[in-house]
Amino acid sequence: MVPVDSPFYRYHPVTRLVLLVFLSVTPLFVDMPEINLGLILAALVLLRWGRVRMQQIRRYLPLLATVALFMFGVAFLAPGDRAHLAAFRLAGLTFYFQPMWWAFVSYCRLVAMLFGAILYFSTNRERDTLVALRSLRIPFAVSYVAALSLRSAGMFMEDFRTIREAEQARGLDLESMSVGEKAKLYTMYTVPLFAVALRRADEISNALFARGYTLSGRPAGGGPRTDYLRRRYPVERRDRALSAGLAAAFVVAVVLGKVMGVFSDQLSPLHGAALRTIGLR
Amino acid sequence: MTLVRVEDATFSYPDGTRALDGVTLEITRGEFVALIGQNGSGKTTLSKCLAGLLRPTRGRVVVDGIDTASKGVMKDLVRRIGYVFQNPDHQLFNARVYDEIGYGPKNLGVPEAERDAIIREVAAVTGLHPDLFGEHPFFLSKGLRQRVAIAATLAVRPQVIVVDEPTTGQDYRQSIDVMDFLVRLRVERGHTIVIVTHEMPIVAAYAERVVALRGGRILMDGAAREVFSRPDVLAETFVKPPQATRLAHAWARNGVRGDALTVDELVDAMRAALAARDGPPAGRLEAGAAHPPQEAGDV
Amino acid sequence: MNPAVEVDRLSWTYHLAARPAVCDISLTIPAGEFTLIAGPNEAGKTTLAMAIKGLIPHSFPGRRAGVVRVFGEEVQRKEAALLAKQVGYVFSDPEAQFTSLTVEEEILFGLENIGVPESEIEHRIRRASELTMISDLLDKPPYDISGGQKQRVAIASVLAMDPEILILDEPTSMVDPLGKDLIVEICAELRRRRRLTLIVIEHNLEAFAALADRIVLIRGGRIERAAAPREFLEDPEFLERSGVYPPQVTQVFARLRAHGLYRGPLPLTDEEGIRAGDALLRGAGA
Repeated sequence: MVPVDSPFYRYHPVTRLVLLVFLSVTPLFVDMPEINLGLILAALVLLRWGRVRMQQIRRYLPLLATVALFMFGVAFLAPGDRAHLAAFRLAGLTFYFQPMWWAFVSYCRLVAMLFGAILYFSTNRERDTLVALRSLRIPFAVSYVAALSLRSAGMFMEDFRTIREAEQARGLDLESMSVGEKAKLYTMYTVPLFAVALRRADEISNALFARGYTLSGRPAGGGPRTDYLRRRYPVERRDRALSAGLAAAFVVAVVLGKVMGVFSDQLSPLHGAALRTIGLR
Repeated sequence: MTLVRVEDATFSYPDGTRALDGVTLEITRGEFVALIGQNGSGKTTLSKCLAGLLRPTRGRVVVDGIDTASKGVMKDLVRRIGYVFQNPDHQLFNARVYDEIGYGPKNLGVPEAERDAIIREVAAVTGLHPDLFGEHPFFLSKGLRQRVAIAATLAVRPQVIVVDEPTTGQDYRQSIDVMDFLVRLRVERGHTIVIVTHEMPIVAAYAERVVALRGGRILMDGAAREVFSRPDVLAETFVKPPQATRLAHAWARNGVRGDALTVDELVDAMRAALAARDGPPAGRLEAGAAHPPQEAGDV
Repeated sequence: MNPAVEVDRLSWTYHLAARPAVCDISLTIPAGEFTLIAGPNEAGKTTLAMAIKGLIPHSFPGRRAGVVRVFGEEVQRKEAALLAKQVGYVFSDPEAQFTSLTVEEEILFGLENIGVPESEIEHRIRRASELTMISDLLDKPPYDISGGQKQRVAIASVLAMDPEILILDEPTSMVDPLGKDLIVEICAELRRRRRLTLIVIEHNLEAFAALADRIVLIRGGRIERAAAPREFLEDPEFLERSGVYPPQVTQVFARLRAHGLYRGPLPLTDEEGIRAGDALLRGAGA
């Protein structure tokens, strides 16, 4: 999933986490599609630079297409109060500018956020996320529970696959079933999943106790937890510089965007261009 | 009569690993087959392909004339070949044992009265007392849950029953119970049994045919006695014959029949070898010495 | 010197259970011994082991009578952390024990829990992983390794904590034959090297009988027999009736003995059996 050797690994996990925040959260405060498109471009460039296999990105294309279809479809079919909207005709159909434009703005925002997340999860193993959390002084118990959840996600997927096969052996033929039938038989999945999860939870808690784990994460003799793994990830100067820079950029973007309205979509050059194209200016 | 035919089946996972590589075999009615081999040899994958749970990526598996890769045949396959998973938790999902056993027949549209008869019969056969009918399977012991899973599979009366690791986690008595039960199914009701296991004493004692796999291919396929007489080949898939067989092999050079599969057979072979060597065994001597044989004519 | 484990008339009934899981059990295990606990399922073996570890009563509600002492101190009175340092416990299901994201972290987890200083950590990880033959797996995540490997990781994680008592609860039951052999090897090595008190719960007597100092048979919550392996295996038929499967070699020679064909000690292993058999066959009757 993550590349074996990537320049990203030269940076501390916290830095990579800050990058995630910057790329994925900034779009929330930015309406101007050009900026968001720029962020998408930046993410793509970084993906390339990080030696991520582009095939993996292709997995997300159906998702992107579906979301686009949905958003633009809704804008087309349910534009709202037509009296106050500017209409234009294209290919024999009537479109309304404002809903379509807003769909476009939202779509750019969504995709920007998505690509930020894609970049993060393609270049960080679970362990990296954990080290990042711990470096940020998040309590050990919290980050450990997060790790267990991640670990459980993997187990969950395996269990799900096994259960599906097991229920197939009981006559559950998913291919030849309607959605309604499949829904009715959900207990064939959920009950075994719960049973397996409950038993495992029991066993894991016993295993934790057996290894001397206490809820606080504090070791036996008192004092702080050694956190050996964290020592393996030295914080370099460039990490500090980059994290500070990105964090600052984020703050600036939020201020400019929300407080000062610099990134408003009305100021977008594309907005003007679009209006001109459809002859409304 | 061939029930299951595997024709040059290959199974590859999406990430490229080849679990099965060109396997061909036939299973005939009434056989008791054991699939053995190390982890990753393909034995579990093969067992799932037999039951139609996995479709081979190349080649095909035909169960009673039905190609397992065809669409919508699951219900027909389930009627012919049942599969019991190693962990019963993966298969059980009803709130009562009674409903669990009855699920299969219900799914196939069997009317209630008939279903009740089937459930009771199958429960009796698997040693599940009617007192357990109202229990929630989750709270039963592992051994009982395993039996409920087997009963649920049996309720559909499949001709072929595949069991993945029937004795793992069971103790001695429970293992014998399960295996004797499978044998009874075969002998009394004509079922065909396929087990996947790595407990060799069980295989040696119960299976008549053994298929050993390695790297997705069949390493050996033959009568248990034959297969266990080749420990060097078995070692390729990290399988050791049971201790009794190993001893027999070692003693063969001293005149003991080298193909014993069980303790009983080995004891008999040993006694025979000792008798052949020494004349009448010491045991008989005890009785004979005190009472010399009557001569003809004495009364 | 205090015995490693002293179980003094222990009774334990799980919450809502009809009968006690163990009933008035007494057992003393001297330090450094290898004790094998055998018996049918649900006989109380795991209950006993968990009581020694302190999981009972810590994680399970129920009624207790009697006392369990580890190195002279009552288990209940000890702190969880001290108990973790003294008594290591490996469960039978390798899947449910792997709670970290890589092998190395898994071994590390226990070390950090008991407060091992940073300077010692690397050394301990290395030692434990060498002994369990998983040194090349340190960076791997749990989904990349086999069941047998996971079980060895579990053993390594506990060993790294340097316990004085190590309990293995059916360590080979969910592991393939190759993995089983490796685990037996590890136990043999532990036996040879350290002054560990080893307690193994197993059905598989064939592999462990010769290694143990003492075998204990538990049935119906009570100890029915406790003796050195050769003595313990003297009556294989009784053992079979009690739900325990003695090594096939022992069974064979016991039967030969019953037929008056053999008079020597009952062999426990392949080698002993082959030798005894060869002698028998060449020597024309024992």
